[in-house]
Amino acid sequence: MIDTDVECAPGQLVESTGGDADNTHYDVLVVGSGIGGMESSIKLADMGYKVLLVEKEASVGGRMILLSKVFPTLDCASCISGPKMSSTINHPNITTMTLSEVAGIERDGDGFIATVDQKPKFVDWAACTGCDVCQKVCTVAVPDQFNADLAARRAAYIAFPQAVPKKAVLERAGTSPCIGACPAGIKAHGYVSLVRAGKDEEAFQLVLDATPLVGTLGRACYAPCEADCTRAKLEGPIPIRLLKRYAADQHYATVGSPDGPVVRVSPPNGKKIAVVGSGPAGLTAAWQLARRGYAVTILEKRDKPGGYLRYAIPSYRLPNEVVDADIANLTSLGVEIVCNTAVDDPAGLTGQGYDAVIVATGTQKATLMDVPGEDADGSMVGLDLLAQVAGGNAPDFTGRRVVVVGGGNVAMDVARVSRRLGAAEVKVAYRRTKDEMPAHQVEAADAAAEGVAFEFLVAPAGVVAQDGHVVGLRVQTMQLGEPDASGRRSPQPVPGAQHVIDADLVISAVGLAVDPAPFAGLADNRGRISVDPKTLQTSIPHLFAAGDVTVGATDITQAVGSGRRAAHMVHRWLKGQSLDGFTALDDRLETISSDAVLARQKAFGHRLPIRGEVTLASQPSDFTEVEAPLTPQDAKAGAGSCLDCGVCSECQECFNNCPAWAIRMDQKGETKKFSVGAVVVATGHKLFAADLKPEYGFGQFPNVITGMQMDRLLAPTRPFNAVLRPGDAKMPERIAYVSCTGSRDKTVGNPLCSKFCCMYSLKQNQLIMGALPLADVTMHYIDIRAAGKRYEEFYTQGKDMGAQYIKGRVAEITQQDNGDLTLRYEDIDNGGAIAESSYDLVVLAVGIRPNRDVEKLFKDVTLSQDEYFYVAEPSAELSPGATTIPGVFVAGTAAGAKDIVDTILHAGAAVAQVAAHLHHHFTQEVTA
Amino acid sequence: MSKLREPREVIREEPLMHAPILAAVADGPLTVPQIAECVNAPTQEVVYWVMGMRRYGLLVESKEADDDGYFSYCAPGWQAPQEEGDES
Repeated sequence: MIDTDVECAPGQLVESTGGDADNTHYDVLVVGSGIGGMESSIKLADMGYKVLLVEKEASVGGRMILLSKVFPTLDCASCISGPKMSSTINHPNITTMTLSEVAGIERDGDGFIATVDQKPKFVDWAACTGCDVCQKVCTVAVPDQFNADLAARRAAYIAFPQAVPKKAVLERAGTSPCIGACPAGIKAHGYVSLVRAGKDEEAFQLVLDATPLVGTLGRACYAPCEADCTRAKLEGPIPIRLLKRYAADQHYATVGSPDGPVVRVSPPNGKKIAVVGSGPAGLTAAWQLARRGYAVTILEKRDKPGGYLRYAIPSYRLPNEVVDADIANLTSLGVEIVCNTAVDDPAGLTGQGYDAVIVATGTQKATLMDVPGEDADGSMVGLDLLAQVAGGNAPDFTGRRVVVVGGGNVAMDVARVSRRLGAAEVKVAYRRTKDEMPAHQVEAADAAAEGVAFEFLVAPAGVVAQDGHVVGLRVQTMQLGEPDASGRRSPQPVPGAQHVIDADLVISAVGLAVDPAPFAGLADNRGRISVDPKTLQTSIPHLFAAGDVTVGATDITQAVGSGRRAAHMVHRWLKGQSLDGFTALDDRLETISSDAVLARQKAFGHRLPIRGEVTLASQPSDFTEVEAPLTPQDAKAGAGSCLDCGVCSECQECFNNCPAWAIRMDQKGETKKFSVGAVVVATGHKLFAADLKPEYGFGQFPNVITGMQMDRLLAPTRPFNAVLRPGDAKMPERIAYVSCTGSRDKTVGNPLCSKFCCMYSLKQNQLIMGALPLADVTMHYIDIRAAGKRYEEFYTQGKDMGAQYIKGRVAEITQQDNGDLTLRYEDIDNGGAIAESSYDLVVLAVGIRPNRDVEKLFKDVTLSQDEYFYVAEPSAELSPGATTIPGVFVAGTAAGAKDIVDTILHAGAAVAQVAAHLHHHFTQEVTA
Repeated sequence: MSKLREPREVIREEPLMHAPILAAVADGPLTVPQIAECVNAPTQEVVYWVMGMRRYGLLVESKEADDDGYFSYCAPGWQAPQEEGDES
């Protein structure tokens, strides 16, 4: 037995303590927890060695636990494998790391240093009870690798019913591009998947988690999410913004005005916050703080809340009633909005009992053209016009000629509003070209469709007036020079080139600026309030700022994101915590690339893109909303196009429904290093990809399946309710097996026999005849290899039960109209005739391929492989399990084809080699 | 049978198909080919959706297959409406 009195050293035997006092040193690293890995681990652990077992899946057990029964005894695979899985996990000398991968192994003296990447599970396994609620509410379906892709599992999943440990995992490939692109941190993929699943209210609530402005963003957001949508690389992006509007419209139509809090709110915490300004940043900040139990008061200068949402964005794009409905979400939490209240000393609001203040006053000032004649009658500022219209004081422009100066979104709004006010002609004068216009492309296009004309490469030189009234705008012709700081080519005047655009009205929309008056001492050189960009805290600790007042004019989503950040930081500051941890934007998983998403499939079905229907009149006459909502059918179809880029959509259904509160979306992976004395490679094998034999129709005909798939259909935990064919869920009556699919076949580069395909086919033949007593089973074989104890008898037993065996290769499988299959084959026992037979279901007895992942295991030494890329055993006859690297051993099919019995035997041999190695290199050394 | 789409693409649509399939079986259990006809989709795709729904408790199967070898599927708890005057 083992000397347990020796000092602990890397790769040394340790006493079975049941604990894990020194969790960086192990005697043996076992890579892979299939039957070979488990057997090696248990035997070594029973001998007293301290074993680190690394498994890439979420459960130990490998492939054997997924089988129906084992041959030749027809014992239940789970009944044999289950106890071993349990022993593995619970053995005091085995530390198991599931959902982990060995990133590299390097030599370290006589031992090794192994680097292991432990992937995040996004579930607190100490809390998870394996209840499966998360699976049931998950809105993302993916192929279930544990059912050989015959059925779906969820992005939130427990590997399989007998999983050990039986714990849930969230599959997250990264942040979906739509979420990654959102400056507000709104989980676009999440609400898209919720709409797809028919959970419209949950979709609304998910957006509400970020901001109360669900309806607003559903209309007025410029949807950077859609620009990054992977589907845009196929037929076009999914209508993400309109899906948000759909969810909001459904909610407001169903729920109406809230008569209580629309979300769960923390109990009052006794703290008071003042938010100055009620634009998107201020409203969002107030929302987030109110949810955390703060008493929030919004102080608004104008007579109604909403800022530019109400006073700048025209109602044909964003109706006031939508803004009102969104703001009602906020007031439902008890947020007080005090209008007609200008604040000239925000920092001093603490004197009124506020514990912190957030300034979110936006960019209230319009930049002037700064040209002669700007004060003439008929020369006006675009923002003032928009506010007038929003306030119900729309002027009459009937028959007037209007020139709008500027190329941004405000200029487009002003131009389109002017058309609605009756202007006969509206021309946008812009100093660069169309390509450099800061206005969103769709805004410019819609303006043009509503009869707005554009004159590019002209800058205002003076407002021309007669008798104090505007008669035109003198413009300087420009040309494009070198790019400026914005990256756009800068406009340069063409000397002597000026002309006058005749006009009755000149409306300036050349820019927006911050009014620094209320915080003059805190303004930067551009008049914006100076803050730390991560914490949004000013130099006065209790004074924070959010939105455009900190960075200049941006857009609604950026303001929303900034409002969220400010609220988060204020909350932490008031709790005395460090100003960090804003996971909504600062700590997301890396965004998965569209290319990686598209690489998951060989082909994509075409889907008609769903787009918003916009009604544009060449002479619009009212402020009716121009964009129609999605119909329920279009909403479902649009959401149904989602490619689930990040796999998990972050819809939060698991988080919201987990009874154990075990979901941890912010869980991180870890990379750990371990010192080990020896390594056992038990990485198993890959199955032959049956579609590499196209003549057999796998992947083309649904009723052609693999042996592994049939084993799943026969297993007690089968994916279907019975042994059914995948093409139409019919119980098959005539089933054919095609042996040696991908084995003994030089045409696919594998001349080797896979050793167990004949036997598992014989096993399945018998099980099918038990499960489907009326079924006829026929096996097309080259020769039956049944070399093993009681194997030949097992073969005979199958024949006695009625299975048919036809010697000869199958040349081709074709499909009939009803999904049945025709096999064309050589019938050697009947004179070699070419024959055809019809079957309901065909099972391809696929063989195995080496798992070449082992090539990546070792960094500074080479683990030699044989000519077929299995791990080489230089002296397999005398030292089975020993590899070309001293201290590294191989167990099971990583070294070549073996059935379960031989794998266990081989693992035993490898264990003996490991024990001898450790004894020789470590125990003696330390004892000496 | 139509050309097969990739399993991932078909399976991705399962949540989208819950409502149409549940609507199809609202009046009584249907086989996969019958559901396929109702939702106008290939039978092999309906198998993915029905089995996914069955797995997570949205559908249950009949005890026995019919004479053609097909099981029927319905929402859990579905009961045939009682005939008028049937007090049993």
